[in-house]
Amino acid sequence: MTTDTRLGAAADTGKRPHQGSRTRAEARAGYVFLLPWLVGFFVLTVGPMLASLYLSFTDYDLFGAPEFIGADNYKDLFADPRFRKSAQVTGLYVVLGVPIKLAAALGVAMLLNAKRKGLGFYRSAFYAPSLVAASVSIAIVWRAMFIDDGAVDRALQVFGIHLGGWVGNTSMIMPMFILLAVWAFGAPMVIFLAGLKQVPGELYEAADMDGAGRWRKFVNITLPMLSPVIFFNLLMDTIGSFQVFGSAFIISSGTGGPADASLFYTLYLYIKGFSEFRMGYASAMAWVLVVVVGLLTLVFFRTSKFWVHYAGEE
Amino acid sequence: MTARNRRSTPRYLPLAAAATAATLALTACSSGSDGGGEPGSGGTVDPDEQITLTMYWWGNEDRADRYNEAIELFEEEYPNIDVQANYSAWDDYWPARATEAAGSSLPDVFQMDLAYLSQYGGRNQLVDLTPYLGGELDATGMPEELLDSGRVGDGLYAIPQSTNTLAMFSNPELIEELGVEAPTADMTWSDYAQWAAEAAGAGADADPALYGAYDFTGVFWLFIQYMVQNGNEVFTDDGELAFTEDDVLEWLSLASDLRAEGQVWPPDRAAQFDPLDGFSAQEVATSGTWDNFLAMYYADTGLDELDILPIPTVEGNDARGLFQKPSMLLSAGQNTEHPEAAAALINFITNDAEAGAIFGTSRGVPATESARSEMDVSGTDEQVITFEEEMADEITEPVPTLPEGFGTIEAAWLRLSETLAYGEITEDEFVQQWFAEAESALP
Repeated sequence: MTTDTRLGAAADTGKRPHQGSRTRAEARAGYVFLLPWLVGFFVLTVGPMLASLYLSFTDYDLFGAPEFIGADNYKDLFADPRFRKSAQVTGLYVVLGVPIKLAAALGVAMLLNAKRKGLGFYRSAFYAPSLVAASVSIAIVWRAMFIDDGAVDRALQVFGIHLGGWVGNTSMIMPMFILLAVWAFGAPMVIFLAGLKQVPGELYEAADMDGAGRWRKFVNITLPMLSPVIFFNLLMDTIGSFQVFGSAFIISSGTGGPADASLFYTLYLYIKGFSEFRMGYASAMAWVLVVVVGLLTLVFFRTSKFWVHYAGEE
Repeated sequence: MTARNRRSTPRYLPLAAAATAATLALTACSSGSDGGGEPGSGGTVDPDEQITLTMYWWGNEDRADRYNEAIELFEEEYPNIDVQANYSAWDDYWPARATEAAGSSLPDVFQMDLAYLSQYGGRNQLVDLTPYLGGELDATGMPEELLDSGRVGDGLYAIPQSTNTLAMFSNPELIEELGVEAPTADMTWSDYAQWAAEAAGAGADADPALYGAYDFTGVFWLFIQYMVQNGNEVFTDDGELAFTEDDVLEWLSLASDLRAEGQVWPPDRAAQFDPLDGFSAQEVATSGTWDNFLAMYYADTGLDELDILPIPTVEGNDARGLFQKPSMLLSAGQNTEHPEAAAALINFITNDAEAGAIFGTSRGVPATESARSEMDVSGTDEQVITFEEEMADEITEPVPTLPEGFGTIEAAWLRLSETLAYGEITEDEFVQQWFAEAESALP
């Protein structure tokens, strides 16, 4: 922004050459300072990305040289039942996990937004799980909690519910992963909390005057005022959920079991690339994911103007 | 927070995987041919040169202790060589090696399995050890056929350390608890299935339920053994499947009733105990697997007495058709700077009497006379060696040559077997899906 203004001002005053060379010098200095990042960006991100794009059109087993095979990997992908299964598993996880997690995060954030004693403690306590949820140790503990006669099984038995272990149960393993995701709602919660603090108190006072109930205030004030924050959390968590890997890898010992019920997309990608040595195929999978996530992001942005409300925009 | 700020935020982490792939491509192997050479033409270790070797193996802590002890002895004998050792579990071991192979950074010495030998050996990833024979590497103490199992084409790419034979373990304490007769050595596969049904019936009311067997049809090596017992070829010389879909169906049908009646260890229990199996968890009374598992089973169960039986036979043919699978081979990575020192280390682990005594039968029965010479044959080792001696006449077949991609089809077999156990696919679908995977995995 500042650069634009200055250029405009320079043009107006007719001192352009002098100002221009200073700007160029500054720009040069800027790029020099940016250099470490730029080198990293091109060498470690853009280069490998392009290489993987090329690899996705090859038959590459990590040992020999990649052999160009056109779009065969992509054709194989869509004929592969395990690929479809992994897309299903991941889709279900995103569609169920993200809304539940965000709802939980928003609910707790609203509770913590009140003025009570010891709120700092509660905030930290609710935030803590999100710091460790992606770790290996939590996945191991989680696994131990959800086996036959594990903590969860016993607790449910108290209420007369006999489900057995969730880990070996093909229909309960997904709810377990969703619970694990929901439990780590700390990051969106903190952002919601910050958003709630920004909602002007006058709006609620005015609504109170008009006799609006709690629900009415929530739907007509809180949600619209929070919509940019909801949008941000929705986007970040959707993208993050597509990439779930660590916990799935640990809990199923890298297999996606039982019977492929936890075969998450990135886990299957890993299996293809590093267990079956089909790196070309794995690269094709990575690019399909990039395209899908990219399209979803685009859809989110396109539809956002219908439901995301920015204060100050009229 | 403006829209502009947010737009730059999404980052595409899945690309990390793709990035890895690409980095690998960029650094892809500079695999030069070794050129082979005559035995004895390889160099020898220069005692004045400081050499560091890296070494990797798969296994548990017990194996690591044994390796480390053996390596210490090696370092005493070669004070100028420093060995940096590391290990991981089987499942993590191979992806790591594959990544290193792509980046030409394989360990100087690492444990190799028959399932992967043709993949690594056939692609110039391993040092041809032929030139070091008679020099740093002495292989005269092992049978010629056994040494041959480390060859791919003309090159000698791995040195077998030991041999394993398939066996049937049983847990006498559990069998007594079940109140059924113990399984016997003269059972056929269907007798065994019948026995398992009976045992499961007796254990149904225990908590947790006890079983006679897990679904043995899910063990690919047992199927291979079954094929060999039937006098069938398993893989052709070009690395293709030599058996048919009907052969697999016949094998799977041996346990159809057991699966239908819930008389094998249920898959949800298996998923929870993984990586332990039902035998280790003491919920299953028998286990058909490699005989070197005995040491592990003793450690896992904490029991004092486990029995070894030979595996069942096929109907109408008493010949057991056992084979010895060379196991725990040692290879040297093609990129090593000190192939002569790597050969010396492999030689030491293969032949040294003290090292042999340290390993015992934990890697299988040692391949060389000298490694066996100072073994304190008692306990587990004695049981395994006695078993192999008793079976000597039954070991009549060569181990099938495993094609490139074997690791993948073996894993697919195990996975589909689990899916079958959950009842999500039929036996026909198992066969259809497995053959489809084999088609894309085999050359």
